[in-house]
Order: sequence, then structure tokens, then C-alpha cells
Amino acid sequence: MREETVVWLESVKCRSGGHFELQIDKLRIDQGERVAIVGHNGAGKSTLFRLLSGFIAANEGRVQILQRDLDSQLSPRDLLKLRCDVGQVMQGLHLVQRLSVIENVLIGCLGRFHGWRSWARIYPESEVVAACQALRSVGLLSSRHMRTDRLSGGERQKVAIARLLLQRPNLILADEPTAALDPNAAREVCQLISQAATGSTLISIVHNPALLPLLADRVIGLKSGHVAFDQPVAAVDEACLEKLYSVGRSGGAKSTADAERSAKPSATMRCAT
Amino acid sequence: MWQKLSSNVFGRLGFLSLSLVYACLVAACLLSLVSEGDLSFGRRPLENLLQTASEFSHPSFLDVWFGNTHLEYRSDDGNVLRVEDRRDIESRYLHGLATATWTTFRIATLGSLLAALLALPLGVLTARNLTAPQLLRYGAKAILDVARSIHTLVFGLVLVGVVGLGPTAGILAIALHSMGTYGKLFAESIETLDIAAIDAVRGVGAGPIQVFFNVIWPSVLPQFVSNHLYIWEFNIRDSTILGVIGAGGLGLLISEATSLFQWGRLSTVLVVIVILVSSFDALSRRIRGALL
Repeated sequence: MREETVVWLESVKCRSGGHFELQIDKLRIDQGERVAIVGHNGAGKSTLFRLLSGFIAANEGRVQILQRDLDSQLSPRDLLKLRCDVGQVMQGLHLVQRLSVIENVLIGCLGRFHGWRSWARIYPESEVVAACQALRSVGLLSSRHMRTDRLSGGERQKVAIARLLLQRPNLILADEPTAALDPNAAREVCQLISQAATGSTLISIVHNPALLPLLADRVIGLKSGHVAFDQPVAAVDEACLEKLYSVGRSGGAKSTADAERSAKPSATMRCAT
Repeated sequence: MWQKLSSNVFGRLGFLSLSLVYACLVAACLLSLVSEGDLSFGRRPLENLLQTASEFSHPSFLDVWFGNTHLEYRSDDGNVLRVEDRRDIESRYLHGLATATWTTFRIATLGSLLAALLALPLGVLTARNLTAPQLLRYGAKAILDVARSIHTLVFGLVLVGVVGLGPTAGILAIALHSMGTYGKLFAESIETLDIAAIDAVRGVGAGPIQVFFNVIWPSVLPQFVSNHLYIWEFNIRDSTILGVIGAGGLGLLISEATSLFQWGRLSTVLVVIVILVSSFDALSRRIRGALL
């Protein structure tokens, strides 16, 4: 299982507005791994995700996802094929508000279902059945005809997970899937995501240390665009995270929120010196 | 220091100087008109106003029920020149008025629909958050800007020369002018879309057309319908004047009544316009309220 490399980054640099958002010498994630990415705001976590899903291109270096090189030679067709295999749970609640729950789930099969029927949102019976199953496994089958903007935050995130279940991707990118959820809902969503990721690779961005063991075996710390540490989840403790978040300050314990607020400017200062 | 100064200059001082410029502009407009002697109310404003008002207060349609059935026109030496049945004449006028109202409604309806259809692709092209090719975007924006800045009446005058008198010119005039407004509103409602939701759908490997029909279209459709009703309503108001230049509808009756100083009839036409516009207004507001 571990032989197959899912993500392979080599001397990757992403530039945005003059400064480097991401500088990674080497990063390798294998099939079946469960990886969490932690880091302060602006550390480059979301940039990394946009890179992995092909929404932005690296300025330098080599990016290989699921054995495919993401470079200028990748045709739009291949990019779409690649995206079929990369499932995403986005930060926040980004469903199509005016569509019903089941229609939002069925969007997950658009990668393999083409033609005019997909424009009119007439889906094949088999996909509808699969979507119902996906909704049952997240416990939302009864509200499948409800409009998505009537749902609560936790329920919307479950709809996004059901979409993921229908898409059946090889690589799952979960960008702060528990943002704006209460602790119970967060735990439930994390369990559902790791269930959905059974057999595939899961990379998630997590802020809450309590949720780390639920979603990951391996933790990568990002600090102003660089990989600060890369270790098994058991080795990650409070002090280690504290150090990661409190860049550019000397001594004294402070709240995480405070550290995050001050993180970005001080991080760049540290880089400059 | 510099930042503080500049924020002061562009902040409160900036607003003050803008207000001053505005005050100067208003004063210049007013004083120049006065000095040229063009700002006058005529010789007998009050009497004229009273007379017009009294004629307006007898709308001609009342004659259908209360009119003189045997109105005689006599020459100075007492010969009967002509006998009129006021009730008959006014009921025939009302009939003509109904036809004209129907024409106005048809002009507004078809013109608005045509405008919406023309503006749809242009609006999609100009929306800043959809990545249309740069050249197409600027082309579409230029067309919309030109269409919006030329008044319906001007389009009408030109089109009457092209396609001749009648409702066709009216429909085309409405369509060409409203296209600009529609395009702008359509583009704006597309621009308020949740980009992350679009990215989420692109993220499952959906192609551009699939993204359009599965995210963009269902999200903007209610706003499009609402915009359509709003402009339709506006065009019903707008098309009442088109007849003045010969493009069909109520406007012809307005220009007829004003040039013959038949204020009673003008008053009848205005009553019809007010009823038409305000009832459509109420209806469209209800539908738009239900949609959002």
C-alpha cells in the first residue's frame, strides 16, 4: 500500500505579490496516509491546497499528484480528470445554496457524468441511488429535498462530505472542515471525514489540537511557507504547536488567538533577518 | 505623518471641498439661468395653472356616462353646424385608448424580453469573476455602455426612420436601451456569487459548461427574474412616451391631446397610465418578494 506516492513536491516555490508564500524542498505523501497540516494564519496551508488541486501553478519546482505532473503541459482535460480524483472539503460552507441537498451531493459525480443531461441536472438512476446512500451514511437522508441554505452549519458540512462520498476520490483535501462548528459537531464531522477517507489518502488542515488524532497519523507543521516539522501525531504536543504558532516572539505563554494575530508580520520579519 | 495628513485631506477636508464644489455648481447653474432671463414662470402662471387644473379635473371619460347626447355646434347666426353625441364619441375614444394601452403593454413586454435575451450573453461575458477572454469582455462592456447611455427616445427616433412608424420601432428601441441596463444588472448579480462554491464544484472535475448550469445558473436565476420584472415594469412606464415619436402606443394619444389642448382627454390617458403602471408595479413587487 505504501509503495504508491500520491503527493510528490520537489523544490516548489509559490510566489504571490513579490514574496514567497510557499517554499517546500521536499514533501512526499503516500497512498493511504492520513496527514494533517498545521500552521499559523498565512503560513501557506491554503496555498498548498490550491496547489494540490490544480487551482494555482507553482512558480518553480515539480508538483506531482497521483502520478501526474502539474505543469504547463497538463491539458485542461487531464486537469479535470485529475480533479475527479481529488476530493475537497472546503473551509466554510460552500454549497450551492439554492439547490436541494441531494442536488448538491449529485454535483460530486459531475467529473464522470457528462453531456447535456448534466447541464439540466438530470442524473442517472444509479448516481441518485448512490447519492441517497451517501446521505444516509451522514444521516441526512430525510432532509434530501430541503434547500441547502435552510441547513445548519454542521449539516452543510455533512452534505459536503456526502458529495465527497459520491465522488469517491483517491486523495481528499479537507481545508479546516470544522471551522465554525461546535465541538460535538466538529468531532462528528471529523469522524465522518475519516470514514469517507477509508482506502484513500487524506490531507487536512486542522487548527484544533484535540482533533488531530481523529484525522491524522502524521502532522506537518508549516511556518511562513516552510516545513517546520514533519512527525507522527503522537510526537506532537502542546509545546511543539505553541512554538509553531508563536513565531517571532520571545518567551511567555500567550493565547493561540493572540499568536495567530501577530503571526504574519512577525513571521516575515523573522524571515528577513 | 504623511499617512495621517493624506487621510485627513481625503477624509473630512475632501468631503468638505466636494460639498463646496457641488454648491458652486448649483449656484452657477441657477445664477446663469437667471442672468440670461430664462428662468421665468410666464406671464400668468397662477391663472394658467388654475385653468389647466380645472380642465384636468374633468377627465373626458366621465362623458361616457354624463355627457351631452345632443351637443349642438352653431355658427354665429344660429345655424346648426353639427350635432354630437358626446357619450358615443367618448366611448369610441375609450375603445381607441384601450387598443393603444394594449399596444404599449405589448411593446414593453416584447422589448424587455428581447433586451434580456440580448443582454444575457453580454452580462455573462462582462462579469468580473468569470474568466472570459479579456478582449470579449471589453467588447461586451463597450456595447452595454453605449446601449445604456443612449436614451430610448433617441433609439426610437432613429429606428422609426429605419423600420418605419409603429410598434416594431418601439420594441427595438426599448430592447436596445434596456439591453445596457440588463447587462449591467446581470453582471452584478453574477459578481455577488460565492466564488468558493464555484471552486468547490470545479474541484470535483466539472467542466466550464457544467459549472455554469450547476452553480451559476441556479444561483442567479431568481435575481435574473427579479431584475427582469423590475426592468419590464420600468419599460411599461417608458413605452408610454414612445408613441409621441410615432413608435406606437399611448404616446400618440398624449401628443394628440396636448397639441389640441384637450386636457380632459390627457387626464383620461394619464389615469389609464397610472393604473397600468401602478398595478403592474404592485404585481411585480409581489412576485419579486416571493422569489428571494
